[in-house]
Amino acid sequence: MDSRLSNLAEQLAAGLMARREFLRKAAVITGGTAAGLDVLRTMAHAQSGPKLRVWLFKSYVTAGNDILAKQVENWAAERKVQVEFDWATFGDREQKFVAAIEAGNPPDIAEMNYQGPMRYRPALRDVTALAKDIAGARGGLLPYADRVVQLNGQYFAVARLAFGGGLHVRKDLIEEKGLKMPKVYDPDVVEVAKKTQDPSKELWGFGQTLNRSDDARGFLQNLLWDYGGSVWDKDGKPALATSNLKANTAAMQFAVDTIQKHKIQPPGVMGWTDLHNNEAFMAGKLVMTNNGASLYYAMGAKKNPLYDKTQVILTPGGPAGSFFFAGAYNWGLFKASKHAELCDDLVRWVEDEKRFEEYMSACSGQAGPVYKKRAEHPYWKTNPNYEGMKENIVRSVWPGYPGPITPAAVEVEAQYILADMGGRIVTGGLSIDAALKEAHKRVEDIHRIRSRG
Amino acid sequence: MSVPAASLPRKAAVSGALGGGLKRVLGPDHRLGYLFITPIVLLVLSLVAYPFTYAIYLSMTHKLVGLPPIFVGFENYIRLTWDGFFQRAVVNSFIFTFGSVGFKLVLGVIMALVLTSRIRWRSFWTGVLLIPWVAPTVVSALNFLWIFDGSLGVLNYLLVRVLRILPQGVGWLSEPGTAMASVVAVNIWRGFPFFGISFLAGMKAIPAELYEAAAVDGATALQRFRHVTLPGIRNIMIIVVLLSTIWTFNDFQIVYILTKGGPGGTTMVMPVLTYETAFGAQRLGEAIAVALYLLPALAVTIIVLARYMRKARTR
Repeated sequence: MDSRLSNLAEQLAAGLMARREFLRKAAVITGGTAAGLDVLRTMAHAQSGPKLRVWLFKSYVTAGNDILAKQVENWAAERKVQVEFDWATFGDREQKFVAAIEAGNPPDIAEMNYQGPMRYRPALRDVTALAKDIAGARGGLLPYADRVVQLNGQYFAVARLAFGGGLHVRKDLIEEKGLKMPKVYDPDVVEVAKKTQDPSKELWGFGQTLNRSDDARGFLQNLLWDYGGSVWDKDGKPALATSNLKANTAAMQFAVDTIQKHKIQPPGVMGWTDLHNNEAFMAGKLVMTNNGASLYYAMGAKKNPLYDKTQVILTPGGPAGSFFFAGAYNWGLFKASKHAELCDDLVRWVEDEKRFEEYMSACSGQAGPVYKKRAEHPYWKTNPNYEGMKENIVRSVWPGYPGPITPAAVEVEAQYILADMGGRIVTGGLSIDAALKEAHKRVEDIHRIRSRG
Repeated sequence: MSVPAASLPRKAAVSGALGGGLKRVLGPDHRLGYLFITPIVLLVLSLVAYPFTYAIYLSMTHKLVGLPPIFVGFENYIRLTWDGFFQRAVVNSFIFTFGSVGFKLVLGVIMALVLTSRIRWRSFWTGVLLIPWVAPTVVSALNFLWIFDGSLGVLNYLLVRVLRILPQGVGWLSEPGTAMASVVAVNIWRGFPFFGISFLAGMKAIPAELYEAAAVDGATALQRFRHVTLPGIRNIMIIVVLLSTIWTFNDFQIVYILTKGGPGGTTMVMPVLTYETAFGAQRLGEAIAVALYLLPALAVTIIVLARYMRKARTR
């Protein structure tokens, strides 16, 4: 307690001072102290420069996270800016954005995933000039990335990178059996899986859950395209169980067959989350699994003996071709920020080619290109696995394909509609036709609701 | 001198009666009474009444993140009523809640009976049995996620490799039946010590003379349990069941960590659906409608049980 207040309290206790006098003097002392502290705080702020709240994404590739944080810190030191960092993860990213935006207290700048620009558009600043400027100096945006960050010609984020990935294959087992790397799911993946798996040793040919997860969502989305189907038609209208019904049925039939007919997936695969296939692959229980580059990175970082025995290849295709969606990560700059120019400057700083190269080199293929020139970087030829990851990204399409990307298309992804559909067939006992119709109804609902604004 | 209330206008009479009542109870310091209750009234209004009323309002809106709410009346509730996913979540919530509470009740009684009997190291066993209750739910759920894992889990390892009961591992969290049974089992494991400890306290409060008298009258152990123990802990039972029903119905962590409502929505319960609608779909109005949908049913359950309890106490 302040010594002056203690003295007053003693005088009051000894009956030397009236209560009113005590209250008056105590109020003067505490009020004066508070005012003084406020002045000091203002002076301290004035000396230390503006403060920027920066949210970064904490990916599984920790080396990349560290480099990005360091680059932001260097920028802050150079510009004499205070930076308040916060990290979002796969598990809490959307919750943090929702809470911050609804509370009217978003960060100044944040690293968002592909869903960010469409979902948080009302809170994001139009950064068309900045985005075009950065893209122009790097040969322009790759088509999929361009669609992720803009709507009707207005850019709501600046593209940064795409998570590379592909089919992770145990090349030692494939070579042992004298087989070729699979190019299509049916029959290649099925045959390779059947010939290499050994359930008695708990080694399974293929590990790909259809349970509620990003892995299932990505796999099923790609598969629908591979078979010539899609959730959407060319005009951006729901087409899961209408014009695309036949192709979608064939795609879903294949997905379900991998579990029920071909029996190339491990028991319990329908209970998997995004981490289970990583763990199973690293434990030597899978021959093939689709995953992001983080799996390859983790094997290298943990010195897993399977690291050198793993090949990452293009995601297999189907009768209509081989399709892939690489989610473009991007910088969202919020309208509420009072430091718009600093935010622009920070984006230019971290997207500087030298700095991005430093970051990319630490990311083991996870910092895939969103700009045409970055796709030509020699880094991608330093490891055959990186090249597979990059090629997947370069040919990437977008949510909503073959139609435009829309907030509804992004929400269908975010709500795991396709994964739920897979689950309803495999574990709920629904026919493929019924599950497609059930999911179609959900998509129509989303389309109707999101069309309101 | 006080003015008779009857001679005042109605409003003044009411306030006068209230003021008079307070004055009678608190004496000359009755004004201080208002001062003391003001903070709690403000607290209740700002932290309970306002958010609750606002939640009801939001549940009647179309509210997307970053955009102002648009009032849509009961549209969210009507849509949910006919939504298959929501309907399944309601059914799952009841299966999860009553399945869990039923088993917890039985296990709790058994635990309390064992701990009231003459066993060695009773305090030690009491402590051991309390571990599930005191362990953080997230930690327990993550452990069970590993235990139930189809290919790397310890449960399948024990059943297939060590005990050789099963030829092949079971997908505990990947089949509709076993997934629901698994999440219920974890909830039971976590919750039964609360029942047991509460019943134990109740049983210890039953006078020993009642058991002695029953024994003298020739009552068997089962009869003593039925006619002495059960009536003695009835009120505690009602309170514990009531509390556990509310907690289990609102349990989010166990289901979310173990299955996220999957596979195929077979373990989707109301709290997880609320969360998914709010943060997955980002439809805040609809999410609140999901959360509030069954509030009247729960409120009625609570009122009925509370009344029953009061009646029992009066008797």
